[in-house]
Amino acid sequence: MFARNKIDNTQVLSSMKAKHQRYEALVKAFHADIFRYAYWLVKDRSVAEDIVQETFLRAWRSLDALNDEKAAKAWLITILRRENARRFERKQLDVVDIDDVFIHDETQQADGDINQRELHRLLGGLSIEYREPLILQLLFGFSGEEIAAQLNLNKNTVMTRLFRARNQLKEAVEKQDENRGRING
Amino acid sequence: MDDLEFRRRIYADPETTDSDLIAAANADEKKRSFWHEQKQMDKKLKQALKVEVPDDLASKLIWQQSADEFNRYKKRSRWYMAVAASVAFTIGISITMWNQGSVDLSGQALAHMQYAEVEEAHSLLPVDLNMVNAKLASFGASFSDMIEGIEVANYCHLNTVRSLHLIIDTPQGKMSVFVVPKDEHMELPSYFEDNRFHGESIKMRQANVIVVGDKRADLTEMKEAVAKRMQFTA
Repeated sequence: MFARNKIDNTQVLSSMKAKHQRYEALVKAFHADIFRYAYWLVKDRSVAEDIVQETFLRAWRSLDALNDEKAAKAWLITILRRENARRFERKQLDVVDIDDVFIHDETQQADGDINQRELHRLLGGLSIEYREPLILQLLFGFSGEEIAAQLNLNKNTVMTRLFRARNQLKEAVEKQDENRGRING
Repeated sequence: MDDLEFRRRIYADPETTDSDLIAAANADEKKRSFWHEQKQMDKKLKQALKVEVPDDLASKLIWQQSADEFNRYKKRSRWYMAVAASVAFTIGISITMWNQGSVDLSGQALAHMQYAEVEEAHSLLPVDLNMVNAKLASFGASFSDMIEGIEVANYCHLNTVRSLHLIIDTPQGKMSVFVVPKDEHMELPSYFEDNRFHGESIKMRQANVIVVGDKRADLTEMKEAVAKRMQFTA
């Protein structure tokens, strides 16, 4: 009986150890992109970090429910989106979004090409229903079908939103180029 | 494929490998350069999306998991401890209640009679008035003078009640006198018997006395002897 208990304990311990290893692998593989995704959802670093912590905590608690490692990414995104929705239910955060405030910067505008900071601001300026599918596509390499499944939309809607997102970005960039041209000219 | 359709589909997914799009691009220089432009744009967008990740985020996530596990373990063990404690408490209370509810000294006294015949003094000292009184003192009682024939004076437990058991040799055979503390929870019938012995009890001021003797023996004399000598302090 004691021998059996000992075996059971070792099994429990080794399954605990395996669970820890799985969790750590999950953290290492996905924390960066999951953080970025959260950031682009909420556009606030510290809120994003909170959501990511909440997300991984929930992932840890229900890690046994994750059977397919290939589905891990989508699984984490689902948890994260739920966490974000929950945060919205708790309170509608009223933060001043620095990216929405137009910062007039001569040195940046003097650059010939569209720069990262401007793209950052333009991406942040997209409405969430255009921004989210675009981020899923660019950050995680999701296909139209995968985005549709993740966001619970049909594929045509997703493709239209992706098209509009890029179209808006393109127009915004061209408008900036015109402004720049006027200032420089 | 018209221009608008081409643009729509490239905008939707610049990384597409659809063969009709590739064919359309091969056939049209303008389409090709538009596609190329979009791919460049996507590269820049991907770069722009790669916001800096907090340095310690990964270790934080692993740390918070361990902390969570520890807290849940603690909570769980607290929970188990609480249940174990209340079970133990309930059992303790029940046993006490049960005992209090059913202390019947007569049965116990009779049981003690079975081996009273072979009972020997625990103490090697002679049983004299001093010793009997020393033992009676714990009941707040004493004898004014010695009862003839006391052979043994032992503390014994009738059920859980500590009592003083005196075994007395009388002309009517051996008799036992039990001195027990007064307690509301004890059932003490004034008369009881089994097939060999019978007993009677006297309720006194600070203690109860049970006299048990052979079935044929008359206990009156012994009861009177005890009652006459028993004194209570305070």
